[in-house]
Amino acid sequence: MSSSNLAQARLHEERKNWRKDHPFGFYAKPVKAADGTMNIMLWEVGIPGKAGASTIWEGGVYKVMMTFPDEFPTKPPKCKFDPPLFHPNVYPSGTICLSILDEEKNWKPSITIKQIVLGVQDLLDNPNIGDPAQIDAYQMYKNDKNAYEKRVKQQAVERRQK
Amino acid sequence: MSSDGDNDDFLYEDEYDDEFDQDDIDSTSEPDVYDAMSPAMEEAPQKKPYDVSWKVKTLQEIIDMQNKEITKVQSLLEVPASSAAILLRHYVWNSEKLQEQFWNDPAQALEAAGLSPPSSPTTHTSTQPTGVFECPICCMEYDYPSTYSMGCDHRFCKDCWIEYLSGKIKGEGESAKIQCMESGCKRIVREEIIDDLVTHDISKRYHNLLNAAFVADSPTLRWCPHPNCEYIIECSQAPTRMLNQLVPTVQCKCGDDLCFGCGYSASHRPVLCRIVKLWEKKCADDSETANWLQANTKECSKCQSTIEKNGGCNHMTCKKCKWEFCWVCMGPWSEHGTSWYQCNRFDEKSGIDARDTQAKSRASLERYLHYFNRWANHEHSAKLDAEFYQKTEKKMEQMQNSGNLSWIEVQFAKQAVDAVIKARITLKWSYCMAFYLKRNNMTELFEDNQRDLERAVENLGYLLEQNISDTDSIAKLRQDITNQAAYVQKRHDILMDDTLRGYLEVSYSAGDW
Repeated sequence: MSSSNLAQARLHEERKNWRKDHPFGFYAKPVKAADGTMNIMLWEVGIPGKAGASTIWEGGVYKVMMTFPDEFPTKPPKCKFDPPLFHPNVYPSGTICLSILDEEKNWKPSITIKQIVLGVQDLLDNPNIGDPAQIDAYQMYKNDKNAYEKRVKQQAVERRQK
Repeated sequence: MSSDGDNDDFLYEDEYDDEFDQDDIDSTSEPDVYDAMSPAMEEAPQKKPYDVSWKVKTLQEIIDMQNKEITKVQSLLEVPASSAAILLRHYVWNSEKLQEQFWNDPAQALEAAGLSPPSSPTTHTSTQPTGVFECPICCMEYDYPSTYSMGCDHRFCKDCWIEYLSGKIKGEGESAKIQCMESGCKRIVREEIIDDLVTHDISKRYHNLLNAAFVADSPTLRWCPHPNCEYIIECSQAPTRMLNQLVPTVQCKCGDDLCFGCGYSASHRPVLCRIVKLWEKKCADDSETANWLQANTKECSKCQSTIEKNGGCNHMTCKKCKWEFCWVCMGPWSEHGTSWYQCNRFDEKSGIDARDTQAKSRASLERYLHYFNRWANHEHSAKLDAEFYQKTEKKMEQMQNSGNLSWIEVQFAKQAVDAVIKARITLKWSYCMAFYLKRNNMTELFEDNQRDLERAVENLGYLLEQNISDTDSIAKLRQDITNQAAYVQKRHDILMDDTLRGYLEVSYSAGDW
């Protein structure tokens, strides 16, 4: 089986599994083109900020575009916040810097879309300060926690799901 | 310069053995070391205290070294060979540490290295359940024989394993640290599993990577850095802590020199590895470009364009934004009136400060350029070596034809070229060394030696360029060149001896750069 077919088979299965069961508040679906055809290699995903007293991300649902390469699941999908997100581990382009999404770090072919989205949700509240990807959020997080929290909360309001 | 002069100023030979720390560099314990050397080394049997002993190894010898260790650990710990290999790689081939940890807590040691605990079977292929299995990666259904699981019980289809292992080995160049495909599982994939599953080419690459990692992990081994050379140098006399006092230049069987300390692909004596790195970085990055810009240019005080003033008066008009300003005080020209060549605001404090930084920067730039140009000059000459040899060979033929000299009698010219080339490499690095040296008495001694060698090399170079006219002049030229070549060799050895022995005696020290 060619690697592209393998990727598609796995993604169809992922979709089936997601429809059967997925974590509360999330959504994940392959993108539909203007003519109604589905592109199984490109998914639109919504990641809600965790609820609770200790989180500043609550209320927002953050949209991520997941692009699956032909070599998936040998290689991980590319995950990008759209629009880009104010967060220390998100590049100015929106690309997420997370070890389980890095082929040379902790990516394993068995990681599911569900595991990825839960990993990204967790990253929101627990930035990895040893591996910053954007200057703005990194410096504010380090130097002025109050301003950082204010900015994140404001972002959560802006990204409230309509 | 007379060719027989300065014979008497170097009489260190007698002191060599006394002042040398035999614990760090024992030059006598390995008498068979010269086996590995090429004939060129045999010409210099007298070993200097700053020389190191080394052996040149083939890839097969490296493989044998690993297998010997693996067999030893295998029988000591009573584990399969592939487990012994994984354990050794995890403990970076330190078998003492491995044994200590293993006997302390076998399960813990195996777990840390990524192996199954001793009680569980290593593979599950033999005890397969029946029925169909859905691979969690490709989501296809398989019979159990076409699936595979390691001791950790995470089962996947063979196609997915092959895809994954091939990607890791070919795409990412991983070898010893390939883990199970399950997220979070740290179990290491064994050699025999990889050999069994992937194609022959990929398995070959896998073993090459394992060998490369073994050499890279070993402080006493280093690959020969020269292209297409597959030898490995073994040297136990140049540990990292010695590199402040030692420049361990060695020669590979391929005939080329390298530095065992840092892997530089030529001799960089007499400069220490650490300084070579500083120098290369300084020459490579654009910090000096920035220095030059700072010394020679100013920014337009309005649009910040960089301007180099190449003549004329102080009344500047920026080509880009047409802003008119004074080059001296950088203020707007409108305040200056007609004083085109003088600025009465020159003495203001801000002006003085600005001029000071500029002067300092200029001085440091000039100093660097002085040494860099000389270094680069010799570097450039070295690139013309092949041509130099060719020219000399032509001349040697000419001498054989017109001067009635035999082949053996004209070899002096080639030897002279060898001497020039060797001395040039040393001279090249001596300029790098001079740049970083602290100013003191030793520096002066060093610069005297450097100057003498430079002069001797120039003279010899000049003689080698001479045209051959008749038989008489050939005889004289031959005499001159032979003498001068011997002199160059001697000056070269003096410079080397002085500096390299100087490191051992810690009489040379680098400045604060």
